[in-house]
Amino acid sequence: MSGPRVGIAGLTHLGLNTAAAFAERGCRVVGHDGDVALCEQLAKGVLPISEPGLDELLQKNRDAISFSPDPSAVADCSIVYVAQDVPTDSDGKSDLAPLCSLVAEVSPAVDDSASLVLLSQVPPGFTRRVAFEPARLFYQVETLVFGRAVERALHPERFIVGSSDPDSELPAALLDLLRKFDCPILQMNYESAEFAKIAINCCLAGQVGVTNTLAELCERIGADWADIASALRLDRRIGPHAYLEPGLGISGGNLERDLATVCDYGNTLGTETAVIRSLVDNSHYRRDWAFRILHDHVLTRSDSPRIGILGLAYKPGTASTKNSPTLRLIEQLAGFDIKVHDELVGSVEPGHTNLVTCPDPADVWRDSDALVVMTPSPSYVAHDPAQIAQAMRGDVFIDPFGLFDRQACLSAGLNYFRLGKGNSEGEAHGLPC
Amino acid sequence: MLKHLNEHPSAPARVVVLGASGFLGKALLAKLAERGIATLAPTRSTLDLAERDAASELERILRPDDTLVMLAALTPDRGKDIATLMNNLAMAETVCRALAHKPVRHCIYVSSDAVYPFRGGLVNEQTAAEPADLYAAMHRTRELMFADACGEISLAILRPTLLYGPGDTHNSYGPNRFRRQAAESGAISLGGEGEETRDHLFVEDAAGILCDVIDHRSEGLLNVASGRSVTFMEIARMVAAQFDTPVEVKGSPRNMPVTHRTFDTTALLAAFPRITLTSLDDGLARAHRDVAPDR
Repeated sequence: MSGPRVGIAGLTHLGLNTAAAFAERGCRVVGHDGDVALCEQLAKGVLPISEPGLDELLQKNRDAISFSPDPSAVADCSIVYVAQDVPTDSDGKSDLAPLCSLVAEVSPAVDDSASLVLLSQVPPGFTRRVAFEPARLFYQVETLVFGRAVERALHPERFIVGSSDPDSELPAALLDLLRKFDCPILQMNYESAEFAKIAINCCLAGQVGVTNTLAELCERIGADWADIASALRLDRRIGPHAYLEPGLGISGGNLERDLATVCDYGNTLGTETAVIRSLVDNSHYRRDWAFRILHDHVLTRSDSPRIGILGLAYKPGTASTKNSPTLRLIEQLAGFDIKVHDELVGSVEPGHTNLVTCPDPADVWRDSDALVVMTPSPSYVAHDPAQIAQAMRGDVFIDPFGLFDRQACLSAGLNYFRLGKGNSEGEAHGLPC
Repeated sequence: MLKHLNEHPSAPARVVVLGASGFLGKALLAKLAERGIATLAPTRSTLDLAERDAASELERILRPDDTLVMLAALTPDRGKDIATLMNNLAMAETVCRALAHKPVRHCIYVSSDAVYPFRGGLVNEQTAAEPADLYAAMHRTRELMFADACGEISLAILRPTLLYGPGDTHNSYGPNRFRRQAAESGAISLGGEGEETRDHLFVEDAAGILCDVIDHRSEGLLNVASGRSVTFMEIARMVAAQFDTPVEVKGSPRNMPVTHRTFDTTALLAAFPRITLTSLDDGLARAHRDVAPDR
């Protein structure tokens, strides 16, 4: 072990990915969580979450990581991170109580010379109010992306660290740890770092909103957004990693939280935030894209339509259904026969009497009038559209993210719909002249 | 957004329709009759809502298990001035006073999409109402009056878009006026080149949605629209195509800015997922056939 001893309080998705990345970089890591059963399971190598590559990384560094429900386990660490989840309600408002509890629990155990680093997403001003010696208290921006968390934890673009005195050098142990990732380290005051996280998410939400707005126009005017996105990615001012894939609004909880935070700040501080509010409105509108197509092409054309849905999670590679468009779709389809499959989500909340969860995706499309691919999990694409078409009763194939090959679907006789392109060649709703 | 208080559609004991002699009122009565629902439709001669003692008369009529549909209003073709506004508010006051003393089970106030601004972009139930004239202000005020008066009564507020179809008693700019112009003079006159896009809903579809709201005992706010907007030029051409003889569609110098309105009807579709609406082609053809059977 060549790095400092690091404590991670809060063995969440964020905490576990961070722990694995630190261990991979040569640190001894002590994970703490008040959940005794969770610590026992983790010690056995059983993960409570699904994240591509995480299991392997933790296994590889098993000897470097230990887990304990006792907060004093972090006492001999030179840096202690707090990675508690901050849950949000349906309006995107944060509940900071669990984070405050964990900070209060773990901070007395932190050694007098060690640093305490908050990694959880907090509103500006939060870190400065934490009862801990300011010179050893830091806020570090996390950039977790479900499904790509390991890659991002191992290869961050930069570290953004908020401190009480940005002109002072970071403590040696913390600097030593961060330098192992070979990326820029940006130091600023607490509020700037806290707001930087919000700014990042607002910029991403802006890309999502603009993409969805323009993709819908493409569906109406005969353009193909995929072609346009390729061109945009080659523009240096936009870039190859821009969020240019059209989607079903914003989901997952984090972007929604930051949009809500900015709107709240605008209200209380008297600044203009209409552009942010419009992103929220646009997200809600795009979320219902599949339902509108189902209404026009299926629900009103059959006495007892059967709908097949692939995917419950808000994105592939995760079991999170936070603000998932699928749950909204299922709610809108109350009263209709629905079959669903998800690779990682076991089932949906009870309440829909006509909903069947299928362990085999083929059971979802068998005899269905419409198939909707709500989560573009790569495993689905192994299925041949021709065989899917043959097994279906109807022909409506809604593939918002373009997981399947459009031409293959059309050749199979499917009525194919995807975001950013009309459902058949030449379909244009009439451009104003 | 609407919330259905009846999990399964079920007809009320009786529907009292105020304003049943109007364009939408007649269509609603026909739909209710089709569905075999008991109705009471007081005429102006038996219940003039603008009269001082009308509230007590309405109280006498109403029963606790009634559904009340308020359609009565002086439309812009009857006046756009302050006096018309005050008359309309007086009519609403009558109904609200009656409801305060004699609550019913369900109340539906039929407002108008006039309450929305012409600001571009999609209009949905979250769009802020910003009345820009006295007619729009009248509807918005009446919405608030009913919300205040209904208290425990389930209240649905519906905001219909432009309605068209047979039996239209108005002569406002749009399909009905175009048809009359074409029949009388062989020409349709447009403002500018008819570039504005608007959502037009067949009146029987609007009446059908009203019946669904009644059967589901729905409460909340809902825009009643087709979700598809076309230009007045397109509508004029479609109307002209109904005639056997050529009809000229004429533009004119524009003296008003071009405005557009398109509805996001997701809330309507979510409330009634099986709803099907008459296409503009079919609706205009039916309106033409019913109004001018000899053509």
